[in-house]
Amino acid sequence: MPEWVHIIIRTLISFCAMFVFARLIGKRQLSQITFFEYIVGIAIGDMAAIIPDELDAPLYHGLLPMAVYTALPIALSWVALKSKSARDFLEGHARVLIRDGKILEDNLKKERMSTDELLEHLRSKNVFKVADVEFALMESNGTVNVLVKSEQQPLTPKRMGLQVPPEVEPQAVIMDGQIMDEALATIGFNRAWLKTELEKQGVAVENVFLAQVDATGQLYIDVYEDKLKIPEPQILPLTNITLKKVQADLESFALATADVQAKRMYTEAAERIQQVIDKVGPYLTR
Amino acid sequence: MTIAQQVKTTLANLKSAQANLESFALATQNKQAKQVYTQAAQTTQSVVDQLQQRVGQLEKEEPTYKGF
Repeated sequence: MPEWVHIIIRTLISFCAMFVFARLIGKRQLSQITFFEYIVGIAIGDMAAIIPDELDAPLYHGLLPMAVYTALPIALSWVALKSKSARDFLEGHARVLIRDGKILEDNLKKERMSTDELLEHLRSKNVFKVADVEFALMESNGTVNVLVKSEQQPLTPKRMGLQVPPEVEPQAVIMDGQIMDEALATIGFNRAWLKTELEKQGVAVENVFLAQVDATGQLYIDVYEDKLKIPEPQILPLTNITLKKVQADLESFALATADVQAKRMYTEAAERIQQVIDKVGPYLTR
Repeated sequence: MTIAQQVKTTLANLKSAQANLESFALATQNKQAKQVYTQAAQTTQSVVDQLQQRVGQLEKEEPTYKGF
């Protein structure tokens, strides 16, 4: 066997072995939570390189240490899973750098982190003023995570006291012109419904690249022809507008009429429609 | 447009919105959204009924504008 064939065969073997071991070790190694896991990944790669490199040595000189290096992290992570103290020892634990807005200099020293580095870490989290930080800690993989003071936190609907409808993942019901029956069934519709909706928008199934249905049953489609303009479904905002218009009409009727009883009826009706708008409005404007 | 016609137009608009709300309630799979839509549709329906009565009264007052 010429030498080059030998090299190719050994390379293929090491490649396959690396693939198998990488699959065995799993996703956890990919995230490389700790520096140790990072090194283990490199070490396995290095051993894989030995196989085609040292042609005289038997195959198991590379494969065996690779297997051990794969088995050990699996065993260690299993141990870490079972016991908290083992976990602290194996994976290390996070160290608090800022608490209650005060920098803990001793902990900085323990992590051998300079003030500049701390500021750099904070800036990478979009925090430019230490005064804005409530709490910051260094995770065991070395990233610094920051909790900013509550007045600096982004405005969310909850903080605004707004009621927002729950988000439901949309289903892709047409992909590449093919109807996805399973997705349709998941969201509770069928082919007949989809055909009607497509007809409403004047599109044939074959021309649709992608169609998604959201939780309210609105169909959003993208066609192959990019110059075509497909109107977005307007029925939700339209209903909202109609309700608002009706409410305004009722108020003006209430003003216009001289009949006391009718005035009271209009006013009360306007109020009730307003309540409906307040409640259902967030669901209609998205 | 007379008042009677205006009220009728508003009634028609409200009916359409009410029907839309009902169809949303049927279409959505989310329980919370379904409930909100259903309640809104019910309230709207009661207003529709009130307006319907008022239209009846107006038609009695000005019989010229009976019907559409």
